Amino acid sequence: MLDNFLTGTATLFGDPFTVGIFIFGVIGGMLFGAIPGVSMLTLAAILLPFTADLSPSQGVMLFAVIYCTGTYGGAITAILFNIPGAPENAPTAFDGYPMTQKGMAGKAVGAAVLCSAVGGVASAIVMMSATEPLAQWAIMNIGPPEIFALVFFGLAVASSVGGRTIWKGWLSVLLGLLIATIGQDPVGGINRFNFGFSDLAAGIAFVPAILGFFAVSEIFVQAEKKVSGNYSAPKFSVDFPTFFELWAHKIAVIRSILVGFFCGILPGIGATLAAFMGYGEAVRWSKNKSDFGKGKLEGVISSETANNAATGAAMIPLLALGLPGGALTAMMVAVFQMHDLEPGPLVFYNSPDLIWIVFAGMFYANLSILFIGLLETKTILYLLKIPFQFLAPMILMLASIGAYISRGLVLDVIVMFAAGVIGFLLRRSGYSIPGIVLGLILGKIGEQNFAQGMQMVHYDLGTYFSRPICTILIIAGVLTLVKSLHSAFFAKHVES
Amino acid sequence: MNFNFRTPISAVVTAAALTAFTGAALAGECRVSEASMAKPGGFPDRALTMIVPYGPGGGSGQVAAAMAEAVTELTSVSINRDHKPGGSGTVGMTAYMAAPADGYTVLEHIDDASSAHALDSSKPNPAVDLIPLVISQVTFSQIYIRTNETRYTDWPSFVEWVRAQDGKATIANVSKEGSMERVIMKFITEASDMEIQQISFDKGAPRYGALLGGQVDALFEQPGDVRKFLDADNFKPILTVFNERPGAFSDVPTHKEMGMDFEPLLRFRGFYVHKDAPSDRVDWLKWAFQRGYCEDSYQAFNESKFMTVIDSYRDTDGAIEMINGAIAQYRDVYKQMGLDVK
Repeated sequence: MLDNFLTGTATLFGDPFTVGIFIFGVIGGMLFGAIPGVSMLTLAAILLPFTADLSPSQGVMLFAVIYCTGTYGGAITAILFNIPGAPENAPTAFDGYPMTQKGMAGKAVGAAVLCSAVGGVASAIVMMSATEPLAQWAIMNIGPPEIFALVFFGLAVASSVGGRTIWKGWLSVLLGLLIATIGQDPVGGINRFNFGFSDLAAGIAFVPAILGFFAVSEIFVQAEKKVSGNYSAPKFSVDFPTFFELWAHKIAVIRSILVGFFCGILPGIGATLAAFMGYGEAVRWSKNKSDFGKGKLEGVISSETANNAATGAAMIPLLALGLPGGALTAMMVAVFQMHDLEPGPLVFYNSPDLIWIVFAGMFYANLSILFIGLLETKTILYLLKIPFQFLAPMILMLASIGAYISRGLVLDVIVMFAAGVIGFLLRRSGYSIPGIVLGLILGKIGEQNFAQGMQMVHYDLGTYFSRPICTILIIAGVLTLVKSLHSAFFAKHVES
Repeated sequence: MNFNFRTPISAVVTAAALTAFTGAALAGECRVSEASMAKPGGFPDRALTMIVPYGPGGGSGQVAAAMAEAVTELTSVSINRDHKPGGSGTVGMTAYMAAPADGYTVLEHIDDASSAHALDSSKPNPAVDLIPLVISQVTFSQIYIRTNETRYTDWPSFVEWVRAQDGKATIANVSKEGSMERVIMKFITEASDMEIQQISFDKGAPRYGALLGGQVDALFEQPGDVRKFLDADNFKPILTVFNERPGAFSDVPTHKEMGMDFEPLLRFRGFYVHKDAPSDRVDWLKWAFQRGYCEDSYQAFNESKFMTVIDSYRDTDGAIEMINGAIAQYRDVYKQMGLDVK
């Protein structure tokens, strides 16, 4: 492996043009990842035709690098302005933005940079070590019932995040699940709750919903404070987390690497589920669950480690089996095909050079996050010095563009503002915005896999329990639920 | 059954077989004689927009990219692709119908637009509300099993095994209500007197992974979408849903040979313009897209996707005939299935 990696490294850095492509991918991914709506997918779609003029290894390496740095890029805006650049950065905002409000933006951003790099590098190393056996294991053992069980397990802790009480946390999650049912059902294609609007047939898109619930509702909250004279500007800080602060979270990092890698390796799942699951597991194992959603460094660490850990993992089913894990890896298939190649087992035999340039590119892209990210952080934090009356319209304008541009539908801008108003009102009443978003995103994934799983077990729910991984995850989820309900009742008893 | 792509070398042999068949079926032959056409009134004097109702990585996204590249090569007119996925193509179609009918916006769509209209006539009819510029991909469906499968090895043994499972056998599919896949599977199961549970996967990767990993027993798909698995010897077809054996799959029996008497529904992808677009612009667009089909880059793309195995080309008249035929056939089937045809 080491020989191959060194050969890949030498090829990558031995040609100035290839180095230029690498640097372009690193910076382009970070920039496009940071702008909501205009995600790394937009950049990839723009670049796709041009990859025909590159060599196959340059083209695939470029997309792999964009995937790594683009997944990290959205963390900065999530932390500083409550605007996740993409759905996989949404859990980062749960605690990252409250940290900014507490004057700890530097620590949050520093942790996001470092943990993205650590998660990505660890994932790249595992990817280089064991792509083929891991891919085979995943497709043999993980099907829709297991993915549903994983989502159920993840949702079981969601009530603990951000709500004033556990009951309000649960109602928030259920509202998210309800919103997730809008649009065609994922198996039969039957329209639900679209009220005759064909644009709603595709359901509520994640990007405008996230922008509304996070960014727009936050503007309303801050505007209300400004009007009532309670506004205080976020304290400017460039204090990065200390080594000891990060070392204290080493278990969270390792756990998120494992969770992110596991989610990333599943075909069709990818970094979004990884980030939410990584965050959820941090909450599950914490002794101070109620601190999450209020500015806990561990929340940022868990989410950002997990989503970048998913990037290397998502390459495994793509390269070993030809099964893309998400939209960007699906576009990588097109890059392969433009050069008369197909990802899959044969590519290891036919194009080993390509494989190792891509592996080396991903490894160094994740390392680059550390260096360029820290440099970027030192400059971008100064945006916090912009007064609210100038910053708020800029954020609203950016969010509106982001909501519109992802699908080019005015409906998405309306959805964003509606989510902003609903989010504002619910926050005032102590409901949990992270809970709603968790319900919305995990609900869509969970419903689809539950329906597919039920078809696979012939609508016999008991058969779910004949699958060991599925059984373990469901039992663990049920235990978490019971514990949560017990806590809720106990809390009520104490209050009364 | 001898069909096999055991090594990359055999894949080359297959490509040669495809090429041989291509000539016989006129599959890749250019049927537009004019190599150039004057722009009517300077149209287009700016880039065209192509609305694609599916994501950029899937079959529609790829054919849209290939055709856009070919038309741009031919005419030097840029084409911006605007992907509007969701709702089985509904979102993109709605956006297209709301766009100005000035010829600057074209639409890529698949046979789902025809089946959607067949089920609900208030939805746009691609042969009436739109003008087909060209249909550039026409393909058939097949049923695949794992190559290393031992429980069954061909269609007769598969049917026998499925019957013995008493409805517990599974097949991965895109079985949305009224979809081409679900309709064909209804025909197949009824004609074969077997019950099989269809598992609906809307994305290709989980669908193919389900068969590779043994989560399902078979897969319903079109050959171009699983070519890499055929080349890698992961999958093998055991039934072709087409009236005759395509040359590249000469060892695979057709549904008719297996005693199933129904007309196969085909998957087709094409390009359209609004019916109210100025006629001289429509004529130019027809020429550009039909001639774009002839470009080497597009032909190479189609060949890589098994789209030259049967004749993939329909000009405007041929496309209208194909769409009308599909709509009539879907309507009949939907009524038989007891669906609420509006």
